[in-house]
Amino acid sequence: MSNLAILPIILPLFAAIIVAFTNKKVPVSRTLTKSLSIVNLGVTAFICWYVFANGTIVLETGSWKAPYGITIVADSLSIVLVLTTNILATACAFYAPHSLPLSKEKHYFYAFFFFLIAGVSGAFLTGDLFNLFVFYEVLLMASYALIVLGGERIQLRESIKYVLINLFSSILFVTAVAFLYGAVGTVNMAQIAERVHGVEQQGILTTIAILLFFVFATKAALFPLYYWLPKSYIVPNPVISALFGALLTKVGVYSIIRVFTLIFTYNTDITHQLFIWMAGLTMIFGILGALSTNNIKLIIAYNIIPAIGFIMMGIGVFNEDALSGSIYYLVHDMIIKTALFLLVGAIAYVAGTSDLRKMNGLINHYPLLGWLLFLAAFVLAGIPPFSGFIGKVLLLKGALAEGEIGIVIIGLLTSLLILYSVLKIFIRGFWGEKQELKPTEKRSPKGFIGPVAFLLTLSVLLGLGAEFIYPSIDSIATYLLNPENYIHSVLKE
Amino acid sequence: MIFAVLLPLLFACFIPFLSRFKDKVHTGIFTFFIPFIIFIYFIRFIGNSFEPIRHTYRWIPSLNINFDFYLDGLSLLFVLLISGIGALVVLYSIYYLSKSERLGHFYVFLLMFMAAMLGVVLSDNVFVLYTFWELTSISSFLLIGYWHFKERSRYGAQKSLLLTVFGGLSMFGGLTLLTVITGTTSIQAMISQSDVILQSNYLPLILIFILLGAFTKSAQFPFHIWLPDAMEAPTPVSAYLHSATMVKAGLFLVARFSPIFSSYEWFFIIVSLVGIVTLCWGSYMAVRQTDLKAILAFSTISQLGMIMAMLGFGTKIAVFAAVFHILNHATFKGSLFMVAGIVDHETGTRDIRKLGGLLTFMPMTATLALFGTFSMAGIPLPFLNGFYSKELFFESTLNLSNATSTFANGLVTIIPYLAVFGSIFTFAYSMYFLFGVFAGPKQLDQLPKKPHEAPLGMLISPIVLVLGVILIGIMPNSVNGSFLAHAAHSINSQFQSQSVAFWHGLSTPFIMSLIVIGVGTLIYVTRDKWANIYQLIPGTRSVNNIYNKGVSGMDTFPHKLTNTYMSGSLKHYMTYIILAIVIGTSTIMFLTNGFSINFSDLADITIIEMVVVLVILIGAVATIFANNNLAIILITGIVGYGVSILFVIYRAPDLALTQLVIETVSVALFLLCFYHLPQLRKRDEKLGSKTLNVIIAISIGSLMTLIGISAHSTNWYESISEYFIEKSLPVGGGKNIVNVILVDMRGLDTLFEITVLGIAGLAIFSLIKLRKNKEAE
Amino acid sequence: MEIIILILSGALISIAVYNLLQKQLLRIIIGTVLISHGAHLFILTMGKLKRGQPPVLKETVTSYTDPLPQALILTSIVISFGITSLLLVLSYRTANENKTDNMDQLRGKSNE
Repeated sequence: MSNLAILPIILPLFAAIIVAFTNKKVPVSRTLTKSLSIVNLGVTAFICWYVFANGTIVLETGSWKAPYGITIVADSLSIVLVLTTNILATACAFYAPHSLPLSKEKHYFYAFFFFLIAGVSGAFLTGDLFNLFVFYEVLLMASYALIVLGGERIQLRESIKYVLINLFSSILFVTAVAFLYGAVGTVNMAQIAERVHGVEQQGILTTIAILLFFVFATKAALFPLYYWLPKSYIVPNPVISALFGALLTKVGVYSIIRVFTLIFTYNTDITHQLFIWMAGLTMIFGILGALSTNNIKLIIAYNIIPAIGFIMMGIGVFNEDALSGSIYYLVHDMIIKTALFLLVGAIAYVAGTSDLRKMNGLINHYPLLGWLLFLAAFVLAGIPPFSGFIGKVLLLKGALAEGEIGIVIIGLLTSLLILYSVLKIFIRGFWGEKQELKPTEKRSPKGFIGPVAFLLTLSVLLGLGAEFIYPSIDSIATYLLNPENYIHSVLKE
Repeated sequence: MIFAVLLPLLFACFIPFLSRFKDKVHTGIFTFFIPFIIFIYFIRFIGNSFEPIRHTYRWIPSLNINFDFYLDGLSLLFVLLISGIGALVVLYSIYYLSKSERLGHFYVFLLMFMAAMLGVVLSDNVFVLYTFWELTSISSFLLIGYWHFKERSRYGAQKSLLLTVFGGLSMFGGLTLLTVITGTTSIQAMISQSDVILQSNYLPLILIFILLGAFTKSAQFPFHIWLPDAMEAPTPVSAYLHSATMVKAGLFLVARFSPIFSSYEWFFIIVSLVGIVTLCWGSYMAVRQTDLKAILAFSTISQLGMIMAMLGFGTKIAVFAAVFHILNHATFKGSLFMVAGIVDHETGTRDIRKLGGLLTFMPMTATLALFGTFSMAGIPLPFLNGFYSKELFFESTLNLSNATSTFANGLVTIIPYLAVFGSIFTFAYSMYFLFGVFAGPKQLDQLPKKPHEAPLGMLISPIVLVLGVILIGIMPNSVNGSFLAHAAHSINSQFQSQSVAFWHGLSTPFIMSLIVIGVGTLIYVTRDKWANIYQLIPGTRSVNNIYNKGVSGMDTFPHKLTNTYMSGSLKHYMTYIILAIVIGTSTIMFLTNGFSINFSDLADITIIEMVVVLVILIGAVATIFANNNLAIILITGIVGYGVSILFVIYRAPDLALTQLVIETVSVALFLLCFYHLPQLRKRDEKLGSKTLNVIIAISIGSLMTLIGISAHSTNWYESISEYFIEKSLPVGGGKNIVNVILVDMRGLDTLFEITVLGIAGLAIFSLIKLRKNKEAE
Repeated sequence: MEIIILILSGALISIAVYNLLQKQLLRIIIGTVLISHGAHLFILTMGKLKRGQPPVLKETVTSYTDPLPQALILTSIVISFGITSLLLVLSYRTANENKTDNMDQLRGKSNE
């Protein structure tokens, strides 16, 4: 059964190649994309069930035994994230045909889409640090391709900055991996962990760890490294923004969680204090960014940042409650961010602009969009009983138990401002006098609604049905707090 | 009990269907039965032998978040208010809202609120309490913004949401802290552990967190500012949410947690002080208003402050007076709001300057207003309930002697005076409301509509409420032992019973009442003479202005701040990022003594290597100074070839070959792409920015070198490479170990490395192709 | 020698970063090429230099250089090449569309 673990990586790769060949026949690509996403989702769901029932799956590729070959490790954390990724991907696959112009669909959108999923899944699943770098490059390359797709002037302008900053951090990444290899002589994560634990408290290891942290933090868009994110996320089509917003930064966060729960678990008084500080500043600056603009897409793009702050807060606090809070929040945020990007895309489409100052009274024409946005605002801000709330309760409990009052107060204020920043769109854009539309201005949001409603329903269920989900999330947190589990299952010692 | 909470929610789902028939049957008629049924269900719990009831329904047991409904005297008082006033308000709304309004929305929001409010007062679980608490804020937001085409409605809705959610989140923080300290999520269990809480270091923080929630919700000074603006909601909503129920949630919260905090002196100081200040400020400001509903809003603020102060006193008599006044306030203020609504409905305006002399047109309404205002003013008549609770309030202000600190003692001394001061203005605005509308000269030309008496249906609800005022006034003890005593007992467990009498001699409280009436009449009559004082206090320094500045600041400040660093300049972004990495990493390196160097195990230095190294270095430096496209590309090529020579020297033939090929192709590509682009210019930088660039560049380079040297100088473990050398031929079947690693042991890397190339190819293709298509169009 | 190469790699990264901080696109891209050279030399040095023969098995040889860093560098070179070529086309298109190769003129309006 261990071969299962590679399916979430290989299936999208094949899918990408298949749809790349059908690019001329767009209807075929669309149908293929939808059905392949569903297949992929089904397979991942099965693997997820299998992992929770039977424990971590370790696949030694090419049958080279563990520290030597590349291992694919489907443990509870990675598989939950892969599953979430595929849920979002499926929603996006159904949204894309309505949102994309035909020319972009023809120019390999669907292929890049699957490449991106393959890269993201690979990054979640791999058990090898250098291989993680390779998957980073796969997903980044796919994201480069997606961000410039269409070649508008503004797209080119923003994407060149995006590519350059990511390239720089990738170089640092590969160098940091090399340093780690120089210090402990291996690139297998489990073995690195074992060896690092063996020589504890070495300053150079902590230094490399922090270098690695900064690399991941750049991808995850933590303060003060997130500058590349907001504007580059709003230039492509909404469906691409949604994929980016939901997946790319989260891979960075995942890597931080993985590396700092598995490998660098000592010296927490220094490293994790740094995390908490950065989490706080990330929340503050992120939400101020979201309040700074009238561009509804940019509001949502900025809102990625404080969410990362919340997740980081849990990693910094580093106890069971806080970690499970981080993971809950991570899953929650992936879903709700996708929903919001897709939703805002639809709003900008029907309004004909993404400038909030030019919108008014939209609810009179598009009540459903309005109420979905209203709901999404509360889900995002972590208002109970929706999904964000559960994560927030856990994070707060964890942080308060460690006496981290400052970050809790920042977090609570940030929640309020998050709510305000999104609800602003509702109050200013949707409420108001009914505007008479000319027949040419009437646009139907049909086709956009389905995926958004699906994701929002999921968010609501994730909150209301927390009893079904939380125990699994909690088991992930306990698992992460005992890195020996991971090491043993990979190295089999 | 869960059905009581769920019923409104479930029914709300059917409202959209029912509102389809609104032309035939007003949706409110269906809705009316919901609160009515709940009221009937709960009223049977009233009785002398009442014992708290607890029902638990599981929600997230693994997080100890369950629907833990707990019905004690306090909850019962609130449940009956919510359902009773709710039924009357729905009834009233049937006549108030015409069928052309979006009735479906209105009743969905109203039912949502009802469910939420019932949830708040019934939940014993702090997180469920918080859930319902936020839901009340949300539904209040929607109801205030019901007429969202009005700018003022949007403003009011946003204001109430910001302030109440702010308080809600703060309360959430406090409740979570309580949970962490006590290890339980049940309020009753927390009460039984109050000694643990009182000894905690976090006690002040918990108190502030929770009180912020209560004060914002109950519109206590300085958070009262949202309530007057909430009056943009339809009048039934104002009567219900913003006078009788939701604004009392804060009082409920304070009452609920009193058993924990009451022995903590700061609880007494903060709650009493804020309450009494709110009482004075609210009544003082009410006299200034010209909008009928604004008068009532400030009046509500002031009355809430009074109840809050009594909860702060915490004595037996104060607690009883508080619950008594919660009930009384709901009756007289509810009826007065409905009166204001009727006046608005029948005359088309709520501006008291345009109104006057309506007694002849609306005798029934005027009578109702008379009872309501007289009860509110606390006029000593044996059929007005307001008098009793006000009298008890005065009495409670005189019996505060358990304070220990000097500050608290000072407070105890001035409280009776402030109470009288606030009540004087209460008397004044009550008279102002009554006589301003119904007495005085008629100004029919000022009114948009010709006034006439309201339809009977609209009068039923205020009549019922006024009957309540009178009945409680005549038989104040009828609701006492069987009902109010239980509520007071849940707040202060020492409370047993308290009898109420109209006349108990010429006591100090009665004299206070007489002073209030005397001075109050004077204040009312001479109102025009002293009204200029409002120019001074609050003048322009009002809390409202601070709020408005704050909100517009929330738009402008982030904009300015964000623009300073989100400049769109790659150079700036890179500068910030690299600085962060360098500072962060080098600090950690310094703190952990990360640097180490070991000269023992090094390769020897040969001349040829040094020559290559120098060539690379010179070439690299030359790229900085080159000012010609061709030159810079060729120099870069030289550096690349230099690196491949190094690869040869360092026993990496495959690398050298690959590097050679790729370098050649790259140079060709560079030439292809940049042949047509502008020539390199001299760098026109200022010295300062040049220096900064140099510093950044050198610092990141040195940092990497230092880490590299330290990493290289360790020798804790052997590399795993021995295994590859060993197994390459026997298992991998190849002599070139690097190749075997690439295609076999690390085959996955190679597969995806090719994928990267493939994506790059496709991306380049579509980048070029899509433009061609565009040009063709 | 290792330390000299490590210094050289650090210097390459410094020079590359200096180029990255310039305004003209070509300089920036040259910077990305140099920075990957620096990184590759770092990787190579982490496996120690000149220990034993090239990692191609021969009967007579018993000691080989560490092959793993070489494999990693190979992967990295190929990936870098892919990115560089994309970057080249991208910058060419950007410069053409926006009629400038000056990054300072590619900032875009603030927060729009």
